[in-house]
Amino acid sequence: MKILIATSGVPFMRGDAEILAGNLLEALSEAGHEGELAVIPFKDYPPGRIPDQILACRLLDLTETCGVRIDRLIGLKFPAYLIPHPSKVIWLLHQHRAAYELWDHPAGGLIECPDGSVIRDAIRQADRELILEAKAVYGLSQSVSGRLRRYSGIASEPLYHPPANAPLFYKSAAADYFFFPGPVSSVNRQWLAIQALAQCRERVRIRFAGEPGSLAQQAKSANKLKFSDRVEWLGMLSEDQKRDLYANCLGVIFPPVDEDYGYATLEAMLSSKPVITSSDSGGPLEFVLDRQTGLVAHSTPESLAEAMDTLWAERGCAAVMGEAGRAHYRDLHISWANVVEKLLC
Amino acid sequence: MLKINWFSPLLPARSGVAHYAMQVLPVLARSHDVVLWTDQDQVSPEVHEIARVARYDPAAPPWREINNGAISFYHLGNQRDFHAGIWQVGVQHPGIVVLHDLCLHDFFFMLSVRHGKDRAAYCSAMERWYGQEGRQSAEAYCAGGVSAESMAQKFPLTREAVRNALGVVTHSIRALEELNETPACPVAALDFPYAAAAESRYRVWRAVRDGVPHPPYRLMVFGYLNRNRRLGPLLEALAGMPEREQFRLEMCGQLWDESHIRDRIERLGLSSAVSLHGFLSGDQVEQKLSTAHLAINLRYPSMGEASLSQLQFWDYGLPTLVTHTGWYVSLPEDATAFVRPEYEIADIQAHLRAFLADPGAFRAMGERGRNSLKNHGPERYVDAMTRFAAEALRLSPRVSALALAGRVGSDLREWLPVAASPYLLERASKEICTILEGRRRG
Repeated sequence: MKILIATSGVPFMRGDAEILAGNLLEALSEAGHEGELAVIPFKDYPPGRIPDQILACRLLDLTETCGVRIDRLIGLKFPAYLIPHPSKVIWLLHQHRAAYELWDHPAGGLIECPDGSVIRDAIRQADRELILEAKAVYGLSQSVSGRLRRYSGIASEPLYHPPANAPLFYKSAAADYFFFPGPVSSVNRQWLAIQALAQCRERVRIRFAGEPGSLAQQAKSANKLKFSDRVEWLGMLSEDQKRDLYANCLGVIFPPVDEDYGYATLEAMLSSKPVITSSDSGGPLEFVLDRQTGLVAHSTPESLAEAMDTLWAERGCAAVMGEAGRAHYRDLHISWANVVEKLLC
Repeated sequence: MLKINWFSPLLPARSGVAHYAMQVLPVLARSHDVVLWTDQDQVSPEVHEIARVARYDPAAPPWREINNGAISFYHLGNQRDFHAGIWQVGVQHPGIVVLHDLCLHDFFFMLSVRHGKDRAAYCSAMERWYGQEGRQSAEAYCAGGVSAESMAQKFPLTREAVRNALGVVTHSIRALEELNETPACPVAALDFPYAAAAESRYRVWRAVRDGVPHPPYRLMVFGYLNRNRRLGPLLEALAGMPEREQFRLEMCGQLWDESHIRDRIERLGLSSAVSLHGFLSGDQVEQKLSTAHLAINLRYPSMGEASLSQLQFWDYGLPTLVTHTGWYVSLPEDATAFVRPEYEIADIQAHLRAFLADPGAFRAMGERGRNSLKNHGPERYVDAMTRFAAEALRLSPRVSALALAGRVGSDLREWLPVAASPYLLERASKEICTILEGRRRG
């Protein structure tokens, strides 16, 4: 089959969505299909121009190329998933989050604009009207599917996929640190973990992937709290370094705000490490079984500190949870072959 | 329950809209979460008792909090001091615009030219809605030599006031239609709200009136007595009637030029028939209205505004003479006596003679006016207003659709030959409708 993956991206920015699109392309190729990426440049400001970008996508004709039919279009990201095609399947990575679950969250931003609520309503209207054009709609996770049902009234099936280079993750003996994968952002809540450190009874250490960035000032506050020796910022990591950090940690801390999916959870499970997450973290909650493969805390420093102290003090228990996580991952049968089969059926 | 942002003048502001708000807000706040936004220095304690009062700076409004409301109501009128900040927020954050004046030319001129020193903004607005003629007239007006009244009547700029609105509330659809300034968004015509006094109280007022010896009959002019209240023609009409001794005219309210009016009264020989009372307290209003026999409530030119005084007159069962213009045109014909602007003096005299010939017929007119107040109850008004807001919210993506269509049209005009454009225009139009108006399922 000739398959086009339609997604959108911010020029010069590369993140998980771009990696996922590349991996999907590879998986399609491995399954014997001819795939191609169509990346629509996207700029979310000023918000008043977002409808223009929806219209631009709607006016594209991707039914054929050089007289040859494109058999399937797989839409991933807003607004590219709104491109019309007679044989379109949407695998929804996420909707425009600032118009939905991040509307009144500090990370959203749309709410700060004068015409924010009108643009929000326009985006929601477009999604409600046009997503249903697709032959089938899948969500990246239960979180994404749940939001689509809640906000847009559209049912979709969650479709899990493995993180990049899944077979390369490994397990090693637990050293004296928790690993907090990046990137550093208000949504990922590294600051919550730093605040939790101040509440810990144990001498817990956390190694953070990424640069502190806007957390620099807060990190200085951490110094004042006299536990700077228990916080380490690792900067940008190579894939090898990242896997080593997973393999050697005691456990992984990952308490984001309503995460779509959360590779960090799966990567920890592949590394046989328990995960500490939060009850409002979204995607990770689909994989972390509380007190079996990790701990689900509340999004308060006190609750997170208690979870960190528990794993720090009970190393044996942490190891058992890590192994259970690995087994749970295996039981979920997460594979690219399954993803390709669903998206092409 | 809706979370409502309410932008209007609030007491103690000397604005009719602030008094209107006191009729509506207690009812609205009973069933909705209302935030009263203000840029006034002071807000009366009784307003604070109704709902939360929040301050805003028109130059930097707190968009996060405003966006957290489900809907915003913007009350616009011609008084720049009270409405400038409201318009500044409303034009950026679409909501429901409640028009308290329909001709808003004076507002935009004062806002842009007199106070903003931005003649270009005023001329652009005039060109936006009236083309080259509008721009040229704007420039001529700025240079002087054109009257404000004629500019307001010819170029009301009503659409400028509502250009980004989700919906418009007017208190007279007929007056709005006559302006030929129909907005692109949904419009609701609601009866101006007024909480009528209880029937028992009304019976007391009626008994007081019946006890007043007559003739002479008491004529009443009441409210903010601006230039357009037609006091000159009224005095002339009275002076020209041999029967004038059968009337006593009482002018109650702040006069735009008291010495001029006093001089006019004297020159017309009406000193014994006319008295001036200035601004009245609440008790004085009750005393005057319950002892009057006929109210005279003329306005010309009208900015299309509704008259709270008119509803007060009816509350007391007073028959009234009104100008056949603006909001008044939509009043029930059997409850008012119309004065045509072009036959003002003759019509006033004819009505006064008809009154003398059959006071009972006018008394019945006043009774019908009082009965018509049942259509003006604040509960009914608030119910209609919030239902309209919900509908306007449902259609809110239209604002984005119109803006997008405008941008697409403007861009295509730059580079696409007309002959090549039909397909793309049709396609783009269809897509805009589908994306933002949901026609596919409709």
